[in-house]
Amino acid sequence: MTRESYLKRSLGTTLSRRIKESRVLLVGAGGIGCELLKNLLLTGFGEIHIIDLDTIDLSNLNRQFLFRHEHIKKSKALVAKEVAQKFQPSTKLEAYHANIKDAQFNVDWFATFDIVFNALDNLDARRHVNRMCLAAGVPLIESGTTGFNGQVQVIKKGDTECYDCNSKEVPTTFPVCTIRSTPSQPIHCIVWAKSYLLPELFGTSEDETQDFDHSEDAENAAEIENLRKEAQALKDIRGSMGSEDFAEKVFNKVFMTDIERLRGMEDMWKSRQPPEPLDFATLQEQSGSVDNTISLNDQKVWNVTEDFVVFKDSLNRLSRRLKDLKEKTSEKDVSPILVFDKDDVDTLDFVAASANLRSAIFKIEPKSKFDIKQMAGNIIPAIATTNAMTAGLCVLQALKVLKDDLANAKMVFLERSGVRAINSDSLKAPNPNCPVCSVAQGRVFIDPTRATLNDLVRDVLRLQLGYGEEFSLSNEIGTIYDPDLEDNLPKTLSELGVKDESFITVVDEEDENPRVNLELVIRVSQKLDEPAATEEKKPVTLERVMDIPRKPKAATPPPTEQVNGTTAHEPVTGKRKREAEGELSNGYERVKRVASVAVGSGDGADPIVLDEADGGAILIDD
Amino acid sequence: MTDSFPSALTGPSSKERKYDRQLRLWAASGQQALEESRVLLVNSDGPIDKQKTTVSGVVGVETLKNLVLPGIGGFTIVDPASVTESDLGVNFFLEEQSLGKSRAEETCRLLKELNPDVEGTFSTTPIAELLQDTKFLPAFRLVLVSGPVKCSSLDLLCNASRELGIPVLYTHSVGFYSTFSLQLPAEFPIVETHPDPETTQDLRLANPWPELLEAGARVRDLDTLDDHQHGHVPYVLLLLHYLEQWKETHEGNVPSNYKEKTEFREMVRAGARTNNPEGGEENFDEAVAAVLKSLNPFSLRSNIREVFEMEECQKLRADSASFWVIASAVNAFYQMHRVLPLPGSLPDMKAQSADYISLQNIYKSKARKDLEEVTETVRRIEGSFGAKRSPIPEKEIEVFCKNAAHIKLIRGRNIPRIDRDVTVQSSVRMALGIPESLAPISIAFQILDAVVDQLQETGSTVASIDDNETWDKQTQRIIGVLKAEDPEYVDEEVEEQIKNATQELRRTKAGELHNISSLTGGLVAQEALKVLTRQYVPLDNTCIFDGVKSRSEMHRL
Ligand SMILES: [Zn+2]
Repeated sequence: MTRESYLKRSLGTTLSRRIKESRVLLVGAGGIGCELLKNLLLTGFGEIHIIDLDTIDLSNLNRQFLFRHEHIKKSKALVAKEVAQKFQPSTKLEAYHANIKDAQFNVDWFATFDIVFNALDNLDARRHVNRMCLAAGVPLIESGTTGFNGQVQVIKKGDTECYDCNSKEVPTTFPVCTIRSTPSQPIHCIVWAKSYLLPELFGTSEDETQDFDHSEDAENAAEIENLRKEAQALKDIRGSMGSEDFAEKVFNKVFMTDIERLRGMEDMWKSRQPPEPLDFATLQEQSGSVDNTISLNDQKVWNVTEDFVVFKDSLNRLSRRLKDLKEKTSEKDVSPILVFDKDDVDTLDFVAASANLRSAIFKIEPKSKFDIKQMAGNIIPAIATTNAMTAGLCVLQALKVLKDDLANAKMVFLERSGVRAINSDSLKAPNPNCPVCSVAQGRVFIDPTRATLNDLVRDVLRLQLGYGEEFSLSNEIGTIYDPDLEDNLPKTLSELGVKDESFITVVDEEDENPRVNLELVIRVSQKLDEPAATEEKKPVTLERVMDIPRKPKAATPPPTEQVNGTTAHEPVTGKRKREAEGELSNGYERVKRVASVAVGSGDGADPIVLDEADGGAILIDD
Repeated sequence: MTDSFPSALTGPSSKERKYDRQLRLWAASGQQALEESRVLLVNSDGPIDKQKTTVSGVVGVETLKNLVLPGIGGFTIVDPASVTESDLGVNFFLEEQSLGKSRAEETCRLLKELNPDVEGTFSTTPIAELLQDTKFLPAFRLVLVSGPVKCSSLDLLCNASRELGIPVLYTHSVGFYSTFSLQLPAEFPIVETHPDPETTQDLRLANPWPELLEAGARVRDLDTLDDHQHGHVPYVLLLLHYLEQWKETHEGNVPSNYKEKTEFREMVRAGARTNNPEGGEENFDEAVAAVLKSLNPFSLRSNIREVFEMEECQKLRADSASFWVIASAVNAFYQMHRVLPLPGSLPDMKAQSADYISLQNIYKSKARKDLEEVTETVRRIEGSFGAKRSPIPEKEIEVFCKNAAHIKLIRGRNIPRIDRDVTVQSSVRMALGIPESLAPISIAFQILDAVVDQLQETGSTVASIDDNETWDKQTQRIIGVLKAEDPEYVDEEVEEQIKNATQELRRTKAGELHNISSLTGGLVAQEALKVLTRQYVPLDNTCIFDGVKSRSEMHRL
């Protein structure tokens, strides 16, 4: 009996050999990732590359079994490799503590793998890997878990649905005015504390964040201006951090002065109950008997005095931390900041206490720290058992792919319904209207110093490829060109965030017989192995002129907007010439009351998006 | 005050932070139950044939891994085997230098590294010997057994566990197939079943109590409200308001059938103001959507009725479990009011925050009142037994009342054995009738058990688990048992399926594939967690997994 005797017997020699010769990429070394790495090693995979940007946190240890207490704050990918290698010395393991979206992991690199496994916790990276695998023609095994539920999907270009063939749940959105002026639910106060108060005091303040796209809508302008002034005044107070009366200043500003101003806007409170400001001195007096260890009790719903004590205590803790950080940072470096992290007790205490104080002001139900953590962090429950099952199912699907038995590969769901805990479904054919996989692909070489958007739009798209007037261009920043957005034309592509190995999507918007979407991979042609951009050469050149098929004729127009869940919230760079008609004039009352937490498709957090009145978006989650 | 900075980073909250993602599933009470549990893993029972083939026990170790990570109190591994070269290729919790050492000791050591909060011990003594000490088994809350084991050992273990009320999980994993069965105590009640929140809403609109009626009556003249107020009347109150109107023209009755409910729904819909940019009102939308499911008069679900009717509930004894005492008190409440205690939660809805909170308080205080009444009955029952009972914690009564409608009682069954139990035979026949049933796999594993048992017989001359004759003999015997009552149940096709399934087990010489055992370890541990936390409804009683089809099935055998 040898080490591999069980394997050979069960899998047969041919498949065993294929497995041994294959090279696989594992994206994510979290809950599913740790299990997958173990299973891949013990299934005999010859070469495994593992990539993860994250570091290990205490809250990972209940399921990510390759990590121990002493590994906290170290790279997940590197530790996973080190620990797992000991158990299977013969396998070639390669680890990267890096972002899968980095340019070095380009389409050519993806193409070197036989199979890619997605073990990710966020929509954005999932979409990126999906796209790269489609472009590289590599089969992808996509997976995710939520509590006791999990799912596994096999994706192969041309044969199956891709990750984006179906619409994904759109993140919850809140109008800025609801958060800043007229909260009516606990979540509004929690978002206020997490995404306004905390960053204004300890992070990057609103004005420096380009994600904010201030409304120019006349009706809102006055209030937006007020809110801007409020934020400025808070920033002035930030200067006195560390002084004796810092807590009192902050408190008076946000829980008294600002509230009194709001209260003064009588129109707002005609049929709403007006907010009641809080008084620092009164609470200070009452709080004498409350010990600040109350913050450790996360199940109890604190009363206002307890909120007050935790507010002061956590503000103090955060101030000291920021001070320590500043002392360790030299003047030349970027000024340090503190950001919300659901597993960072200091920021969580501050958000919980501040949110509850604001709730008291607006007569909203307070919540326990445990619940606030869930709502602010968009926590998705995660346990070892679900990860073990999901990872096992991933490997089973990978075996089908390696056997070229895609016909028997499945979409698998872990759930308890009827008599089955594990249900499977046949893989579906690609959605012909999918904005991601039903696209044509091409490559363009650009000279980054000279290439302008106009070069691409006029020389390549109109003259070489025959596009008409109506089409739009977008990249990861958002829409960079459409017929109403011509401001960007003279700008260089570099200015518009176009980098080496990035994508630009061209959407043909002609009413008559439009082309399928075109996805252009950009290559910055200063690399030695590619045609050099000389003076004679045009600043933007197409690798080859290809024929772009037309969209299939359907009864309904292609659901581009809905299918790509983020489209509706994509920020727009530059100014639009004409505003969309019929948009709401203010964002006060159009958002649905949100049931506690959105179900995500991973064991991390999906972003909450603040939806501004004119459709701009502020991404507020980590 | 500034001293609290370091203490907040470590201190008592560090455990909560480590377990945060699972506390969201079973809360502090479930975690406490886990931490108080000790689990026994019987991972092999000596060689299964004369060539010293041993169960490699990967599924057992993988299951335990999934219990050590979330923090059970402790575990004991019983495994007389030594680590072989082939173990290293399939078991992650063994390493190069484990070779030749005790497998129990090595897996125990490496599993303990996963979580310093968990205590672990091991024994290389066969389980039958250990059971001779009557103090051995009661230390455990759950027993895991990796099959196949000697029939006599399994019997000893299952019988002793049943007497002590300890659940047993018996597992097999071979090649691409696996199966496991759960033996629960004769009565296994689950209070916190965590039903789908959609199904648990209990608003009592058709059975309102006076305070709720009063709140509904305060919404009198909707027409006088301004647009903002009109759009913010909580839907619960809207429904109560329109119900009163309805009753006026329907002899005091609420809409009772589908037709009336649809009519009523239109009546509510017509009340919404549409002269606004949205063309409607969200609170009215919510009211319209809730009509069909919220107007049903209260009715007792069969699961709780069954509990009320059981003898344990009807005839309390001084030593009755607290579950039965509370159940009996809740039954008394039901007999008096014809409804269960109100759970008291209110779903999110469009409303002004102050109105929402006051409505919420109406539900909360009614729930509190009901709880007080039940608690009083509980105390009276306890009093009737004199000093023999210590009082049941208030929290326990509260959890019962909150979950009363969805309580579930499982009557535990034995680990299924086709050749012993006629009820198992008939349920297996039933299971075989389901299209594409996985039951043949379960039968194949029972044949494997029978083969192993034959090899262990004193005087058996068969040397290896590979022996064709033994396999054929046992296959025919088990199929014969199934056919005994009526040959129709096992037709040629089914017989072929059973034989094919045994081929997979024979081909791999009862060996495990890590990936299948890891996956199965996830499934088994999931059931173990439900049993230990006494939350969620566990398997009743057999799960079969087919790794070729990536599909599982559950059967009551
Ligand atoms: Zn697609």
